[in-house]
Amino acid sequence: MSFIILVATGLLVPVFYKSNIFIAKLIAIAAFIASAIAIYNGAGLNSVFPFFVSDDSIKLMEYVLLATLAAVTLSLTGFERPLIAQMLFVASASIAILETNNFFLFIILFEVIAIISYVLVANIRNFYNAEGAIKAFIAGAVASGIILLGFVLFSFVTDSFNYETMNVEGKFTLIAVAIMLAGIFYKLTIVPMHGWAADAYAQVNHAAAAILSGVIKSVMLVAVFKAFYKFLIAYPLSTVLIFSFFAILTMTLANFMALWQKRISKILAYSSIAHSGYALIPFAAAASMYAYTGVLYYAIAYIFMQTSVFLLLNDLRREAGVKYLEDIKGLGKRAPVHALFFTLQLFSLAGIPLLAGFLSKAVAFYAGVDAGLWWVVLIALLNSALAVAYYAWIIKHIYFDKAIVKDKINVSSGSLIGQLILLAGTIYFGIVAADVFATTVPLSM
Amino acid sequence: MVAVDIIFAPIFLSVLLYFITRNNQELAKYIALGWFVVQLIIVISWYNALPAEGFYNLGTFLKVPYFDFSLTLKIDALSVAMLILTAVLLILVIFTSWEEKNQAAYFSLLVLFSGPIFGVFMTTNVLWFFMFWELTLVPMFFLVGFWGGKRRIYAAIKFFLYTHVASMFMFIGFYLLYKQTGYWDLSEIKEVMLATPALIWWLMFIGFAAKLPVFPFHTWLPDAHVEAPSSISVLLAGVLLKMGAYGLIRFTVELMPYTTIEFSNWMLIIGINTTLFAGMLAIYERHIKKMVAYSSISHMGLVVVAIATMTYDGLSAALYEMIGHALVISPLFLIAGWLHHKTHTWYMDEMGGIMKKAPYVSAIFILAGMAALGLPGTMGFVGELTIIVSAVKSFGWWVAVIAIASLISAGYIIWAVRRAIHGEMSPIVQKADFTMSFPEKLALGVFAVMIVYFGIQPQPIFDLANKAFSFLGGM
Repeated sequence: MSFIILVATGLLVPVFYKSNIFIAKLIAIAAFIASAIAIYNGAGLNSVFPFFVSDDSIKLMEYVLLATLAAVTLSLTGFERPLIAQMLFVASASIAILETNNFFLFIILFEVIAIISYVLVANIRNFYNAEGAIKAFIAGAVASGIILLGFVLFSFVTDSFNYETMNVEGKFTLIAVAIMLAGIFYKLTIVPMHGWAADAYAQVNHAAAAILSGVIKSVMLVAVFKAFYKFLIAYPLSTVLIFSFFAILTMTLANFMALWQKRISKILAYSSIAHSGYALIPFAAAASMYAYTGVLYYAIAYIFMQTSVFLLLNDLRREAGVKYLEDIKGLGKRAPVHALFFTLQLFSLAGIPLLAGFLSKAVAFYAGVDAGLWWVVLIALLNSALAVAYYAWIIKHIYFDKAIVKDKINVSSGSLIGQLILLAGTIYFGIVAADVFATTVPLSM
Repeated sequence: MVAVDIIFAPIFLSVLLYFITRNNQELAKYIALGWFVVQLIIVISWYNALPAEGFYNLGTFLKVPYFDFSLTLKIDALSVAMLILTAVLLILVIFTSWEEKNQAAYFSLLVLFSGPIFGVFMTTNVLWFFMFWELTLVPMFFLVGFWGGKRRIYAAIKFFLYTHVASMFMFIGFYLLYKQTGYWDLSEIKEVMLATPALIWWLMFIGFAAKLPVFPFHTWLPDAHVEAPSSISVLLAGVLLKMGAYGLIRFTVELMPYTTIEFSNWMLIIGINTTLFAGMLAIYERHIKKMVAYSSISHMGLVVVAIATMTYDGLSAALYEMIGHALVISPLFLIAGWLHHKTHTWYMDEMGGIMKKAPYVSAIFILAGMAALGLPGTMGFVGELTIIVSAVKSFGWWVAVIAIASLISAGYIIWAVRRAIHGEMSPIVQKADFTMSFPEKLALGVFAVMIVYFGIQPQPIFDLANKAFSFLGGM
């Protein structure tokens, strides 16, 4: 049901948004709420199609996903309206990829989401946007090719594509998985496959970047973990080596790159890449019973905070032309509420407690410790402590510096409500960890 | 429920306070004062309810299944001592920052600070302890960064990063505690044998050492304390450094006593080093607030020495010195900041003859200074004497070298008094106007009274210490 509602609304919405974006937004939000209710009532994809199963943890991720997309919808304005329809498609494809238990469908849906994301980034036409969109498209196409190569290899050696029964002991499986992972690392923006992301996130419209770097990436994290779980368990040594190596490489390099940037969107883009690095630690620790908890918690926390910071930046760029760090000087005076939202979400990204960023990192990294990788976790913790430097640097510009331009920045009430939803999520999952544990740990016991 | 509210209510209250008093700045301090008084009353009621030994249970909240992670609130005499100290200092800080600029934001940040700092002293759950521990950094970061001196932004970011990075080592230690025992709660971890106690001990020690701070990890402190407004220096020295000492007692002495005995010689050497090294740096300083900051580090070194003894006497002395340090260093910081505010110079040799123009403040500076160097009749004397005696008892006569620390502090304090307070009146002092508002005078007076009162009558603090450390075989 939920899938059909979202796709149908996605097809319907473009009829309305030409004339009145407000009605289009309302319809989209109604669709998000309706599909959340459908999921709650057990009318997910699994009730209609084979190859889909759902459980409480996936439901939790879907609620979070729909709430985030509703918040994004609320904060959009006129020229960003094509995003509304595409978000509905992203939501439907995301629900499908989260619920599927078939590797073939996983690959198909992975490509579907990739195609939606190419359209997503190419919507708004200006020079910088086009450059970012082209980069995202070419890198994505290369990644798709690599993933398909790996998948073809894998399909030679397996009898079944079901996650439970697929054959992971085959002759070429390890190579096939390594090749597929190389492609998937493009999408998850793992160093050294991150080059496109730093430019694309920073150059495309920031609302599109919010969806691309926040929503799609966290859905990918959970879906990839579910799809590759059996491989990760079957090849423990390769798993630890590959994922620890790329985790350390990604977070260290991205954090150091973020330190030099002057464009806020670039800083946030590199911060997003660094967070992909942290999120790989529970992958490396797949043997731990907390690995899935770590991945899911990380995805939930990350979707709220990363989407929120890019949306805030989108508002500020639209209303006040904010691009560089100098432009947000004195933001605490010019837009006090947005400054507060921005600060809290940045603290969450930095891993300050009572915000989701801390607890999700704590759980994801604990999975690493649980699997005996405490030295990787120590490097990750030091990295996340050093990352405070650039987050605090943004906050320093917001509050401690004197404004160059003094006039107030007006923000639409829709975007304030959207930000409140995202902040509520960040704070709720920063204090209450019970939901995530109760839904995930029994699955891996 | 009161127990959880006292931690989480300030977080919401602070946001509310900011928006209520944004247009009526004068009101902020009264609301903040009211809240801190409420906190003090609640803490005193807990003080009366304390059992003779062990913990007083305040309840368990926010349980997480499969992870043994819940907000367990338990207090013993040690935490009550710290809570009372915190509440009293917060109230006094309101008086000393009576005329601070931008009051709505300032006092809402102070209220925000009061939540997590109570949490640190109240919870026995290691992960929640760490969460509150890190959260105290945020209001301090803004308080130093907004209201500080010239290099405030550098100092704020350095303070934040430095202690944050050090905490990460501690956090790995906490992770290993849970990994090796399966419990997050201190009272349960204590019952289980650890696989790698030495590694965990050192990882945790780095975190506490940076907070205390001890010798190799102390460089954030002079910057943060000098650039912070003096009321915030009071909180940094009086409460934040105590978190380090409190953690050291809770997590090393109480949690892993055998490992601590193994490494107590290291702790002793680190403590002595800190005391002597910081004391010598203090002699060298012309900058009055830096001198006080180094003197603060020097006294915290004594606390580490006292904790290293691992005896009932030593830990009682440590608790006494922790409280004494807060009460003695605070007026020194306040007066140093006030003198800079009035004379616009930090350097003691450019001051001189302040006694003639501001006798009340000068008298309190001299009193607190004498307490810092350990004059009988003040808190400093009791603290230093008990620490030296207990350390000599446990480690042998050669530890008496730390008495040199007293000598050194006599050097810098008396020289500072000679340069800044007495002597010929310098032209800067001649020009300056030394009026002090009544609330500030009141706060300084309260500090002076407490220094003398607990110096002559140390029994109340030792009673608390008796309850807290009776497991080490008390009296």
